Amino acid sequence: MKPFAGPMMLLLVVVGFLLYRSTSGDKTPAREFTETELAGPAPDYQGTCYALSTVIIANGVFGNVPRAWTSPRKGAWTLTLENVTQGAGGPVREFQTWTFEQHDAQIRLIEADASPQYPKDITENIDRLLVAPNRRGSTPVDRCLKDGGSGYNFRKK
Amino acid sequence: MRPSIFVLILLAVCAPLTACKRSLSASDVRAFIDKADETARKRYAPEICALRGKNFRMKLTFQGANRAIAPSEMEIGRALYCRNAGSFARLRQYELERQSLEIDVAADRKTAVVDAQYVEKMPFYDPQMSPPASPFDYREVQILTSHDRSVVGIESGDLVFLSTEAETGQELIDKKSIPPVQVD
Repeated sequence: MKPFAGPMMLLLVVVGFLLYRSTSGDKTPAREFTETELAGPAPDYQGTCYALSTVIIANGVFGNVPRAWTSPRKGAWTLTLENVTQGAGGPVREFQTWTFEQHDAQIRLIEADASPQYPKDITENIDRLLVAPNRRGSTPVDRCLKDGGSGYNFRKK
Repeated sequence: MRPSIFVLILLAVCAPLTACKRSLSASDVRAFIDKADETARKRYAPEICALRGKNFRMKLTFQGANRAIAPSEMEIGRALYCRNAGSFARLRQYELERQSLEIDVAADRKTAVVDAQYVEKMPFYDPQMSPPASPFDYREVQILTSHDRSVVGIESGDLVFLSTEAETGQELIDKKSIPPVQVD
């Protein structure tokens, strides 16, 4: 029994870890997803010159607001931001959700939902998301670093 | 390692599992609610949060002091509830008093519906005013009278709130007109 005690313990730890990994699932999109260029609105879906992660970081990760990623289906991720604010009549939940979907070398915003004080229109949401990276002069994707590289609402430094 | 020692180690490792609850009784739930109330009085967010299940949801109907404005309604999940519990910790004066408690344990003894009435007293920081300079920078005390209906269940062997529906009414009173609330 004694020679097997150590390996058995190790096996138990490895099996436990694998079980945990297989049941916990991803809670955030993969880096390949967030490092992909965000597209402008339909019908052109012109690239914005900014990776999704750049847009999110430029927006200050939306302040100190609880946020969660969920995946409605393969290749799509929904970012939810929510907060409780004091309205005239009492506490009110404010929320914004954006569903992004991968289309080849682009990430497209395909759905936006929000509480009444925020826009739900896709184009308006993309425009709002791009204000911060443009204002900060965030680093664009390689395509736009080259001369002549252009993008939807993109302003070169 | 001799087999008997190996069995003893296995028993020792598994012993905590026997403490996990698989069913609940009215007295378990009463003790849990007492603990939850005490945790709320301490206003320590991680402890408040730990008593909520992973899919906890809270539905709140709030009638503000101005009865001319319709009650606000909101439904939030655990993450937002826990974040709010964090801001609750900033309060320096807070009183919670339970007025009544009724417990109805389900036939399968897996869940219980708890009806409770509470009165809470705390400073009112007017959202229209500039942020308070200190925790004592307030003019009115708010008295919140709530009827909470919660479902309590078992998760990972512990009792937790699975959901809460609260109907709360607010009253505002000039802080000079009442004795100061407890300072922790």
